[in-house]
Amino acid sequence: MTSVTRPFALVGVAVLALAAGLLTSIQGASAQLPPTEEQAIAIERQLLCPQCTNKRLDVCELAICRDMKQIIRERLAAGATADDIILFFEVRYGPQVRAELPREGFNLWLFGWVGSAIVAVGVAGAWFLLSLRQRARPAAAAGTPADDAWLDEELRAADERDA
Amino acid sequence: MNVTATLGAAALLTALACSVVALGASIYGQHSGSRAALLAGRRAILAAAALLSVAIVALGYALLTNDFAIAHVASVSSSEMQARMKWASLYSGQPGSLLFWTWSMSMFMAAFVLITVPKISWGSAHAVGTLGAVLTTFLIALVFFASPFRLSPVRPEDGTGLNPLLVDPGMLIHPPFLLTGLVSTVIPFTLGAAALMSGRLDQAWIRHARGWALASFLVLSIGNFLGGWWAYTVLGWGGYWGWDPVENSAILPLLPMTAFLHALVVQERRGMLKLWNLVLVLAAFALAVFGTFNVRSGLVASVHSFAQSEVGPYFLVLVGLVVVASVVLIVWRLPRMHAEVEFESLVSREAGLILNTYVLIAMALVILGGTLFPVFSELIQDVRITVGPPFFNDVVGPLLIVMLFLTAIGTVVPWRKAAPGALGRRFIVPGALLLVALVALAVLGVRDPFALAGIGGAVAILAVTAREYAAGTLALRNARGMSWPGAFGALFNRDPRKYGGYLVHVGVAVMAIAVVASTVYQSQTRAIVSPGESFEAGGYTMVFEDLATRSPGMNGIDVEVVARVRVERDGKVEGYLEPGRRFFANFPEQPVAIVAVDGSLTRDLYLFVQGWDAERLTEIQAFVNPFIAWLWIGGGIYAAGGLLAFAPFRARRPVVVEDAAPTGARPV
Repeated sequence: MTSVTRPFALVGVAVLALAAGLLTSIQGASAQLPPTEEQAIAIERQLLCPQCTNKRLDVCELAICRDMKQIIRERLAAGATADDIILFFEVRYGPQVRAELPREGFNLWLFGWVGSAIVAVGVAGAWFLLSLRQRARPAAAAGTPADDAWLDEELRAADERDA
Repeated sequence: MNVTATLGAAALLTALACSVVALGASIYGQHSGSRAALLAGRRAILAAAALLSVAIVALGYALLTNDFAIAHVASVSSSEMQARMKWASLYSGQPGSLLFWTWSMSMFMAAFVLITVPKISWGSAHAVGTLGAVLTTFLIALVFFASPFRLSPVRPEDGTGLNPLLVDPGMLIHPPFLLTGLVSTVIPFTLGAAALMSGRLDQAWIRHARGWALASFLVLSIGNFLGGWWAYTVLGWGGYWGWDPVENSAILPLLPMTAFLHALVVQERRGMLKLWNLVLVLAAFALAVFGTFNVRSGLVASVHSFAQSEVGPYFLVLVGLVVVASVVLIVWRLPRMHAEVEFESLVSREAGLILNTYVLIAMALVILGGTLFPVFSELIQDVRITVGPPFFNDVVGPLLIVMLFLTAIGTVVPWRKAAPGALGRRFIVPGALLLVALVALAVLGVRDPFALAGIGGAVAILAVTAREYAAGTLALRNARGMSWPGAFGALFNRDPRKYGGYLVHVGVAVMAIAVVASTVYQSQTRAIVSPGESFEAGGYTMVFEDLATRSPGMNGIDVEVVARVRVERDGKVEGYLEPGRRFFANFPEQPVAIVAVDGSLTRDLYLFVQGWDAERLTEIQAFVNPFIAWLWIGGGIYAAGGLLAFAPFRARRPVVVEDAAPTGARPV
């Protein structure tokens, strides 16, 4: 192992330690709740407080939210699905209680915007890069060539040594 | 007559006059070539900054002396508030925050006039005129729409006090950083505008803008980190970033500013991206003004609250003016913007930097769309909707992952074009490390594609950055015979800009790992328990001992109710946590959470109380947040890297501007 690659071995060990720590943490953090409570919390996380701004139902302490949490458990016990329960609250309080924006109707404009923005930036970027090749004019002063030229030289030498 | 209010209001009015003078004198000086007029413009900016300082001191004095005749003081302060919390009162509420915004901006302007304007003879008049115009618009809002020195119709006995959510030590540092970061975008904007107006579109403005942009980037980043930390420790929802419209407004200007810091390197070294760099600084300032408008107008919460806002429509016009003026200037100068050298290859450092700036701008557009979409839904359909975290996580998450990999690739690829053989060798070790990390994660059970890709991108950055540090350290060690640690430290002295920048990337990678782990693998438990009962969370046993009350007797806090929770593992007591709720005398309907966190490097145990009944049956929520500490550690590394990168701006490379203004004005 060369002196250049030796630090990478250390990074590799660190990465593995990190991954192992992550997994240990994940296993330790496995949920302790009975399935219905897990389902209830999962539904609460898909709903927002009707009286707050952008506050998830599961972490809201308002009376109206406590009532909603109770209703979720009652309906789950009665056999309702998550979609049924979310729809129930949407009908009661309006679509703003949904944390996840439905991909339908007028909302598709937003998803269209996202796609258009990414495509537009990509296309404009590609055009721009290509046009740089075509429109470029040679100039004597093209910025400062290399304030790290010393390092480029050293890197080249190191690459040659590695090879 | 209230002397403090009169002094403050007079200072604001005179500052407004000074800013108008700065604008007028610069225009006159530019056209007439009058040296006296140009100097008068600069001095008017300095005078306005001094007068705004008088105004902010007057407001601070009014807060400290409980001058409740001033309506703003009565609305955000009370007599029993601690003096240090009155610092937070200074910039809370619309008038106070707008005064702080404008004062902070004037400080930047004054520093810019003293440090940089004398060096930019090619565009000093345009720059000072731009400063004057911007300052005038904000002072008009301050004087006519949201003056902090308006008197109450009747002087109340005591003030209402600070909004309960703001009664927290975090509020002493988070808003000043964030507001200062937002206003600091005005300086790169001014330099870009001056370059456009003067027609001096080469590297001159870029050289001066770099330091200011880096300062803006750094302060804005720290403001956002502190905001996340405050949200995590105060709001009591287990997270640090909720994609709230106000949070989005704070991060939006940071994206084009970050893109600018990368793109300017390409213009400096390769003479490319003249148009793009101008677009980025203009966009950063426009988004900062948009953020100010968004926070103050209530627009995104509801178009109805926007209609009731006095200052909202004014800022909307201001955002429109900034955008229109920027577009007009760019279109006017477009024919002059051509690259000076040929773009040689898509496999080059400049291509990597350019692509990364595109990803950053795509992110900004997506976040802007998601933030504003509820407004369009309500306006067009009369349907109120919420665009919440699931949407932003779904669309921004993949872009962040692309950015991580592009950052890693861009670090490895050389300028101009890469020789295939040498490039391949540079990728071998980082690529192998990435592969090992992914296999290890998969073997250990990580299956979530977002987690694998996010952590993979972060590992790629760490690997290539380690290679860069190792190669540089080895080079210096060989050249100077230094020790390994000595050579590593000398790297930052040799080229703080480059190696400080790499440290910022390391911070980003560390934060990315923390974000992925805490987003994908957060666990949540809710327990409704009586005193003596226990529940399990994250492998720990939480024993709820009982509720207790305490009365701090300050800052408007009436009483705090806390649940004493004993944390045990394998029958052994690990410690105690006391989550609870804090009640305020003047805001009985607005209690706030007291969050209790037991932190470690691998996980945070995060508890808060949601309620209790007369029998002390108490509802406690427990989150286990993996690796969250690394978010703050990564933030610290990021900030340290930014500070190191700032070093050349201060001392190592003094900027020399050699030429005179092209448009007729004599150098001043």
